[in-house]
Amino acid sequence: MRPAWAITVATVRQVLTLRRAIVFGLAEASPALVYLLVANTLSDEAALDRLGFMILIVYFPLLVPIVSLIVASGVLGAERRDGTLSFLVLRPIPRWVIAAAKAAAAVIVAGGLNAFGALALTVSYAVETGNWNLVVPLVVGGVLASIIYAAIFVPLGFFTDRAVLVGLLFVFVFENGIVTALRGLSALSPWRTGFSAFIALAPPDLLTGEDLAETPVELISLSTAALWTALAALVSVALVALVLRNRDLTSE
Amino acid sequence: MIDDPALVDNPTVEVTDVSKWFGPKVAVSKITCSFGPGVTGLLGPNGAGKTTLLRMVTGLIRPSEGAISVLGEWPRSSPKVYAEIGLVPEESAVYTHMTGREYVEYAAVLSGVDGPASATDRAIEAVALEDAADRKLDGYSKGMRQRAKVVAALVADPKILVLDEPLNGTDPVQRNHLIAVFRQLGDEGRTVIVSSHVLEEIERMSDRVLAIVDGRLAAAGDVAAIRRAMSDIPYRVRVETTRPRQLAARLLEDAVVHGVAIEDEAILVETEDLSSLGHQVAVAAKRVEAVPTVFRPEDASLESVFRYLVRRR
Repeated sequence: MRPAWAITVATVRQVLTLRRAIVFGLAEASPALVYLLVANTLSDEAALDRLGFMILIVYFPLLVPIVSLIVASGVLGAERRDGTLSFLVLRPIPRWVIAAAKAAAAVIVAGGLNAFGALALTVSYAVETGNWNLVVPLVVGGVLASIIYAAIFVPLGFFTDRAVLVGLLFVFVFENGIVTALRGLSALSPWRTGFSAFIALAPPDLLTGEDLAETPVELISLSTAALWTALAALVSVALVALVLRNRDLTSE
Repeated sequence: MIDDPALVDNPTVEVTDVSKWFGPKVAVSKITCSFGPGVTGLLGPNGAGKTTLLRMVTGLIRPSEGAISVLGEWPRSSPKVYAEIGLVPEESAVYTHMTGREYVEYAAVLSGVDGPASATDRAIEAVALEDAADRKLDGYSKGMRQRAKVVAALVADPKILVLDEPLNGTDPVQRNHLIAVFRQLGDEGRTVIVSSHVLEEIERMSDRVLAIVDGRLAAAGDVAAIRRAMSDIPYRVRVETTRPRQLAARLLEDAVVHGVAIEDEAILVETEDLSSLGHQVAVAAKRVEAVPTVFRPEDASLESVFRYLVRRR
């Protein structure tokens, strides 16, 4: 357990530098700040609409994937690129432990930052309206989406130096382009899984059937979202462990 | 008793008919050798295949052909062997956000060392890194990073140490100290495999040498035998100084100097007696009031030596 914890802690420190923490923190807080600026001039219904916009247009499709991409693609990618991978892998530790510890670090940082963003947004909404029952649903939805993104982007960062570019193509072309056009593919879009969890946990009267029909998401149940998240994490750890065991770990 | 000088009795590391290619490029070709307790030098010019061989020995990359055994196992299949292997890789990469002490303790924890904090203190003391231990690695010079990597490799008290160009970037004082440390580790019965492209370094560190050229084993044996085999090949040494022309003219009067060429602020000196040349350069520099800033055997001359060895084989 101790080596796994040491890898996770070292990786968290590696990917969450002070500068990154400030930049990501400001980015995560920005939807809440914008919301606060406009909310006090709006009616309760309009304020909820504005919150919906922040959640469905800014938080889930942009903030969560981009923060997760930058964090998760670096946890193994930086080790390979910087030449520190040999320090990590030439140890008497099972490969799956290294893979799981790295994935855990990505989830702690990306999930933590995205939870902060969710918290900032829903708390600012609660301060304005007195309605606190969106805090937990949005935090859970954001964290679940972060876990799935980490499951995708940790191996991606290990396989290619262009992980950020490939990740951005995945987010903007596939998720926010193709899946938006073809709602049946929603299960393949991590942020939509997180959004489904959010809707499943939110009060039933938050969105009407008409509102839901307008969202670019084919909703799934909370248990399906949780199962999907766990499966993605397991497959990701197994894949990285397999690669660490079987592939050349340095190039020529 | 084994006759082949590339093999040792009671080996801890065995390399059997190993080849490695990257696409069409053959990096290592059918090398068979073994390593046992004591210091073995792996000598060869840059690009000869030394790093590839060491990476295969540690399991970082797989051989395309042949087999490698470390303490009877292939490390990649049996990670527990890594408790007995310490690697100092060639690249200077370290975790720059850590202090030297954190870096070494991290290595200790990952290697499953009991009492990682006290093991860290002992290893830092052994390599005399105490003064810099609590500074961030980001601010370390290349030589200090090399030392930090050596400490991290030593902290788990491994039976086998693999050191890839460990003296790169070190200053003369650091170099002397590290050489003494490697010697001592070999004397303690550890298997120390150390690579370098500088014969003088290998000569000071190890008694047994394997010379690799173009991915093949070119020569093996004790340092004296290798030295004799190449005694008719002159060294070329680069000396950078404040007064190159004056120093060159003075050196030409010296018996150990075969020839001198001037190249910008440097002079290239040919000699067969490298150890005497160092002294002669110091004396000559004093006489002409020049300040030598660099004294470095050139790769090119070594490469010609290696090629000579390959032709002989």
